[in-house]
Amino acid sequence: MQATKSFEQAFLRHLLRGFRLSAVSYKSMSLQERKSAIKLSADVAMASARGSRKWTRGLITKLSREDEHRSFLRLILGTEYGRRTKPRHGSWKIPRSKKIVRRSLRVCSRRKNNLRAPHGVKSGVLARTLVEKRTHALKRLVPGGESLDGCSLLDEALDYVISLRAQVDLMQKLLTTFEAPKLRALSKCTLPERKASFVGK
Amino acid sequence: MSSRRSRISEEEITELISKLQSLLPETRRRGASRASAAKVLKETCNYIKSLHREVDDLSDRLSELMATMDVDSAQAEIVRSLFRS
Repeated sequence: MQATKSFEQAFLRHLLRGFRLSAVSYKSMSLQERKSAIKLSADVAMASARGSRKWTRGLITKLSREDEHRSFLRLILGTEYGRRTKPRHGSWKIPRSKKIVRRSLRVCSRRKNNLRAPHGVKSGVLARTLVEKRTHALKRLVPGGESLDGCSLLDEALDYVISLRAQVDLMQKLLTTFEAPKLRALSKCTLPERKASFVGK
Repeated sequence: MSSRRSRISEEEITELISKLQSLLPETRRRGASRASAAKVLKETCNYIKSLHREVDDLSDRLSELMATMDVDSAQAEIVRSLFRS
């Protein structure tokens, strides 16, 4: 399972556009500022290239919460900015007691996990608690994952991991491509034939 | 009726867990048999965290490199070569 060719091309296109818009080549930027701009461009590029998924929307929303990111996001998302950073219609933000939510989550996953661990009561309880704990950890790592459960969470996690891997691969390729001219220049200076011709002169 | 729905979603969950397992680096190396859901979830979390760290590191290295290069003039050639591969 891996990202498609069209995803890769869209990612690179968005990434380079992001670099241009945030002017990462300008010497006036500090190294830290440039790094943040590059990372931001890479994340927005990944979300934009993937299209509309729970995690891409979650990621854009998360990024827009930082003040220093907003002007860049407005620039790169353009007219889409308002639409993509607002919570969707029908997404409920009813204030609930944390205790009640936690209890109901426990009941729900206990019901689900009952089917998976029918053998041995003690090991079953342990397995359920462990799966619960790990599921909560995964929810925090997948953008937009907090509001997901069961199948949806796993589905989004799968898609997110595939996209992250592609992001890493493509950034590595970009790095290699940028480094290549420098390495070529270096190797030219050390060619023995070159040296000989200079000596001849 | 509700038990039928739960059975279907249990199969879905099992399939998704096994798909996640196939993505994990450890599994690809050893060709492991089916791991428990708890183990796959833990390894997935670790994998996501390590991918985040890689992106951070690559951003660092790219920023060092781009500090001394003229991106605009090199951009067209770079894009062309990347899209060719």
